[in-house]
Amino acid sequence: MKIVACVKAVPEEQDIAIKSDKTLDLSKAELKVGQYDLNAVEAAVQLQEATGSEEPILVTVGSTKGLKNSKLQKAMLSRGAGALFGVADDSLDSIDAFATAKNLAAAISKIGGVELVICGEGSGDIYSQQVGPILGQLLGFANLNAVSRITLMGDKLEVERTLENEIEVLEVTLPAVLSVTTDINKARIPGLKEILAAGKKPTTLWGAADLEMTKEGNIEVISTLAPPETQRQQMVFEGDSEENIAQLLDNLRKVL
Amino acid sequence: MNKLAKVFVIAEHMGAMQELVSGAAQLGESTALVWAGDKGQAVGADTVYYLGELNNDRILEHYAPSIINLVKTEQPNLVLVESSRKGRLMAGTLAAALGTSVLADATEIIIDNGVVTKRMVYGGAALSSERSSAPTTVATVSPGVFETAAAGKAANLVEVPFVAPATSVKCRERKTKAGESVNLRAAKRIVAVGRGFTAPEELKLAEQLAAAIGAEVGCTRPIAEEEKWMDKARYIGVSGVMAKPELYIGIGISGQVQHMVGVSSARTIVAINSDKNALIFKQCDYGIVGDLKNVLPALLAQLGK
Ligand SMILES: Cc1cc2nc3c(=O)[nH]c(=O)nc-3n(C[C@H](O)[C@H](O)[C@H](O)COP(=O)(O)OP(=O)(O)OC[C@H]3O[C@@H](n4cnc5c(N)ncnc54)[C@H](O)[C@@H]3O)c2cc1C
Repeated sequence: MKIVACVKAVPEEQDIAIKSDKTLDLSKAELKVGQYDLNAVEAAVQLQEATGSEEPILVTVGSTKGLKNSKLQKAMLSRGAGALFGVADDSLDSIDAFATAKNLAAAISKIGGVELVICGEGSGDIYSQQVGPILGQLLGFANLNAVSRITLMGDKLEVERTLENEIEVLEVTLPAVLSVTTDINKARIPGLKEILAAGKKPTTLWGAADLEMTKEGNIEVISTLAPPETQRQQMVFEGDSEENIAQLLDNLRKVL
Repeated sequence: MNKLAKVFVIAEHMGAMQELVSGAAQLGESTALVWAGDKGQAVGADTVYYLGELNNDRILEHYAPSIINLVKTEQPNLVLVESSRKGRLMAGTLAAALGTSVLADATEIIIDNGVVTKRMVYGGAALSSERSSAPTTVATVSPGVFETAAAGKAANLVEVPFVAPATSVKCRERKTKAGESVNLRAAKRIVAVGRGFTAPEELKLAEQLAAAIGAEVGCTRPIAEEEKWMDKARYIGVSGVMAKPELYIGIGISGQVQHMVGVSSARTIVAINSDKNALIFKQCDYGIVGDLKNVLPALLAQLGK
């Protein structure tokens, strides 16, 4: 079974700074693999291990500059996947979910013969949780999100979905796009050996000349601004002495 | 505010349905509810497009081609979709079929040269304002954006012809989730626990504090998603519950933005953390630097006095 896992390079959220005009400064934030994509990669690798098929393929969409970063490529490839394909163009930095899914679909079609695509719950930065659902429809595959278990059953998959109030158990005929939850598995942490080996795995970046690229979505981002801050008293007592606890309690009682 | 000609609602749960139908009436001249399941529950919009029953043979996903067909024919200006798991999938599926994206997780919606929404991005570090000028805009709407309108009127009911899906997904089983139902969004006081708790037994301390002050217990994402010590309905933050308590007490919680946005409107924030440099102390009104295993019993003892 040919399995693809979709991954996105996102800025390290700890290093996103807020400028005085409330806009975000991403210049110090290094790119990393989106946290939720790690579960998608792990799910793909576990299925591959269970079926003994070829190593899963990673597909990503992003800016050329970002995707050429070898540390990032290693971070993507050190978790059990066999190869990485990227749709890369500097115009693809902040496109909407539809454009992202269009580019993923173009890459997946170009790879050919893909039977299962696994996406994370949402991207680690924008987290609209829409790329998987849109991609499934674009490819015309069976399309499910909130997937918390995938088991191979002959040539079909048994899939469990965790919804708000219920669990669904479904039988899915391939090809399929499945967006997985974060509790579907515990993503492996690569060791030095895996990271070194990742450097030798094939990486292919496709540009506008290689496939039909979608450079623009149709959602316009008007502004992205830090929310207004609430002033807090920040009255902090150091140490858990009786007096400190009594002081904390006095303050607490005022609002009870 | 300008109104759109036609606004549709797709929802699966009653509460969200009522909110969105009332929102649709604020935004549109005419409203329609696209509904599957219990026919009697579908009220409030000018028209109800009834898809059919919900059971193991027909889950909401099976109606996607019927919905796409309906929306392409009726061409509403806006489709408001419940931000449940199934709602998100339907929104993405529908948008893709229309050749557009989704305005996701809107916390505010206005009509201004198209549909303009606000939503949180970068884990709550920023609010993004986005505009769609697609002929039909699809938006998923966060809970609480619209207030439920008083009484629903009896609608004009239209049966939607079933369009069979081309792909095969068979539902074998649907089971009700064990977990409890808790509505943190409505809680006035919340005691929240984080990874500073190292064993499930320790949670009792927080539960006792909550009981003593009449609070609900909430948690951070890792406590629910990784440790699974608490139900997912109890985790607070950008990807969990956006709460609006009057009082929030965060214990053993570092204060990452993704969590804190979920309580940022609280009137009073109290923090208990053993690390004096923890981020939460910069965002609290009152705090105590100490080990929760000492602070909580002492606090409980003094509270009891
Ligand atoms: C896209 C995205 C979305 C996310 N959405 C959410 C969300 O909705 N909600 C959410 O909660 N998180 C969310 N997260 C995760 C979030 O970034 C943090 O990782 C998480 O909130 C941290 O949880 P924590 O504070 O419990 O754990 P930690 O960050 O590990 O903090 C534990 C704290 O406990 C303190 N501590 C340790 N021992 C003791 C002790 N004995 N006594 C007292 N204090 C002690 C430590 O000093 C530390 O500050 C999201 C992350 C991403 C990337």
